[in-house]
Amino acid sequence: MASLLLDDISKQFPGVKALSNVSMEIQAGEIHALCGENGAGKSTLMNILSGNLQPDGGRILLNDKEVLLHNPQEAFENGIAIVYQHLSLVDSLSVAENIFANLQPRNRYGIIQFNTLYEKTNALLRKLKLFDINPRTLVAKLSPAEKQMVEIAKALSKDPSILILDEPTASLTDRETKTLFEIIQTLKTNGVSIIYISHRLNEIFLLSDRVSILKDGQYQGTFDSKGLTKETLINKMVGRELKILKTSSSKNDKVLLEVKNISGAKFKDISLVVHQGEIVGLAGLMGAGRTEIARAVFGMDEIKSGEVRLRNKPFHPRHPAAAIRDGVGYVTEERKNLGLFPGMSIQDNVVAAGLNRIMPSGYYNTEKVKQLATTAKEKLGVVSYTLKQPVINLSGGNQQKVMLAKWLLTNPDVLIVDEPTHGIDVGAKSEIYQILKSLAEEGKGILIISSELPELIGLCDKIIVIKNGKVAGELSGDKKTEEQIIKLAT
Amino acid sequence: MIQKILEERVYSLGILLVITALITSAVFPGTFPTFENFSQILLNLSIDTIVAVGMMLLLISGAFDLSVGSIVAFTGCLTAYLMHFFNIPVPIALAAGLASAFLIGWVNGYLIAYQNINPMIQTLAMMGIVRGCALLVSGSGIQNLPYWFNAIGQSKLLGVQMPIWYMLATVFAFTFLFNKTIFFRRYYYIGGNEKAADLSGIQVKKMKMTGFIITAVLAGFAGILLSSRLGAALPTMGRGLELRVITAVILGGATLSGGFGKIPGALLGALFMGLISNIMVIARVSGYWQDIILGLILIGTLWVDKYLQKEYAGVV
Repeated sequence: MASLLLDDISKQFPGVKALSNVSMEIQAGEIHALCGENGAGKSTLMNILSGNLQPDGGRILLNDKEVLLHNPQEAFENGIAIVYQHLSLVDSLSVAENIFANLQPRNRYGIIQFNTLYEKTNALLRKLKLFDINPRTLVAKLSPAEKQMVEIAKALSKDPSILILDEPTASLTDRETKTLFEIIQTLKTNGVSIIYISHRLNEIFLLSDRVSILKDGQYQGTFDSKGLTKETLINKMVGRELKILKTSSSKNDKVLLEVKNISGAKFKDISLVVHQGEIVGLAGLMGAGRTEIARAVFGMDEIKSGEVRLRNKPFHPRHPAAAIRDGVGYVTEERKNLGLFPGMSIQDNVVAAGLNRIMPSGYYNTEKVKQLATTAKEKLGVVSYTLKQPVINLSGGNQQKVMLAKWLLTNPDVLIVDEPTHGIDVGAKSEIYQILKSLAEEGKGILIISSELPELIGLCDKIIVIKNGKVAGELSGDKKTEEQIIKLAT
Repeated sequence: MIQKILEERVYSLGILLVITALITSAVFPGTFPTFENFSQILLNLSIDTIVAVGMMLLLISGAFDLSVGSIVAFTGCLTAYLMHFFNIPVPIALAAGLASAFLIGWVNGYLIAYQNINPMIQTLAMMGIVRGCALLVSGSGIQNLPYWFNAIGQSKLLGVQMPIWYMLATVFAFTFLFNKTIFFRRYYYIGGNEKAADLSGIQVKKMKMTGFIITAVLAGFAGILLSSRLGAALPTMGRGLELRVITAVILGGATLSGGFGKIPGALLGALFMGLISNIMVIARVSGYWQDIILGLILIGTLWVDKYLQKEYAGVV
């Protein structure tokens, strides 16, 4: 039996306050749900609890004793186990070796006792009712759902007194979800405290005893699940104040991009239209297939059926190079991973996508590059003292502006923008909104993918909600509310 | 200013070279600073440098090629074989030699870029295959090559041996191309972030394949040059060259992860290695020490570099 008290926890990331003075209490043997929108600070809080991150301020008290969790090992020694949203399994090892990673039963010469290992794994899997999984199977051969269950088994192998589950049902089928819930209930009767994070509100009501809510890194309170309605919960999660310019729509009737019933690996039968001067939003949960749609339209991934038309002509680029030539730009998500050339200068980054357009002769003109980069830097307000500065040293907001500048130099008619304000501070956010708005006013069509609902509502003429790779609904005018979007998306 | 010099390997290595040369001149005034000695140093490293230019290109893009040493041997041997046994005219034999290098580079590039085979494994396998082919073609070696073929590598211009001119021409040409053409600048983007490069409209696969072809053709040219200089084609030519060249290029400022490096760095890295071995010959240090000292220098350079990067990481 263990109770956990978080006292005044704060965490600052460069440019963003991820958690400010969060205090909450997890009682022994309860199922405690943690709710909040993307970026509310749930993952940060859980990373602090599991020893992956160190808080800047505040204390963690376990059974009224202060504990310091410097690394995951120490968290685990204190009985805290976490099941990550992103799997932490090694594909090339067997189920048993994954579950008992680094804790394999050994004899006194340090030799691994494989028979004991497989027996222990089998017992554990039976407890979880996973009769189909063989401990000797390679993890690579398991389905995503089975992998998730193995991940949970791995956390349970440590006999934790506090178990954190971060979106555990995202890749599970209904039957597996049911099994998981039964397991969670059994654990609860055994006195294990469970912290349950999920975007699926139904699960939260079904499972949890109490719910804590985070919003923009701030604690909003803890409530008994029984007395709570879905509407109140959503209400507490959303309603952020954001300064978004409520200017009139610049949309006109000319159709720029028309997507007709396209299907691909992770989406099906998607149709949407982007007009000149229009900002269209794509909303949905992480993994709903929004990015995949953008990548397919941009020529990165394959479209299996359906048609895309650009300015009323068929548009099926086989590589982003062709899409750029025809006037489509794609500001990717995951700046560092997919968007930027981190070690290269601002100048080099800004011209990366427009090289052919800027210098059609094929000769690299340093002066021209410098001049274009200076103009773009001033226009978008990138703060740095030289254009030679590597972009890795810039703040998130400035990096995002560099990425926008890069795509503006390709002079696109249609700009797809994927999570443009992820992890950047409020000031930079509103600057990005300004830029997007003025681009729409210039007559470009903009398609925004975002998990930040207020920005979609504030910026977009219409919002298309994607759920499990399909269009779940289209909202415009007064119907664009966070409540509506969440209802459609979950 | 000092910071800038320390950050840019081409400058720091250049200065280190000059200092080393000055000190050596002071210690061995009679033997080191002579025209003969300098041109000997340059002649010795000319073949390596031509290959190093290609290797620099690949390392900038985040890849490398272990088969270059074998390509040097094979193209030399194939060209000699065609001339010696079939009396094929020199220009056609040269073209055939270069074409064979092109083909090897194409196979490497195609399998690496389009079939996702790991560059190290692909070029390691190719290293063995091509070396074997060189042995098949030339047996224990081919001598008595045509006069015009030997003239390629054995003649002089303005008192300087031709291989040095070829080397300088290669370095200058590629320095120009990397500074002044969009095509070659794309390699920096590919090395900087391959996924982002692809999403920015750079045809990464095509570019990578071209990179392996260019490197192989440069190695082929070096092979022809070497056998011309030797007046013979030996299947053992270029043994260990791949690692020597990678060492030079890393010394010259490239990183294994890609995105960094300048073409002149390839020359300076090779020059530095040539200088060290020359000094050791003059100072009558046992040849056994050469590899030890070069290894230590390589580790030392990278270590200092890591330290400097940390030191300036916040300031840059």
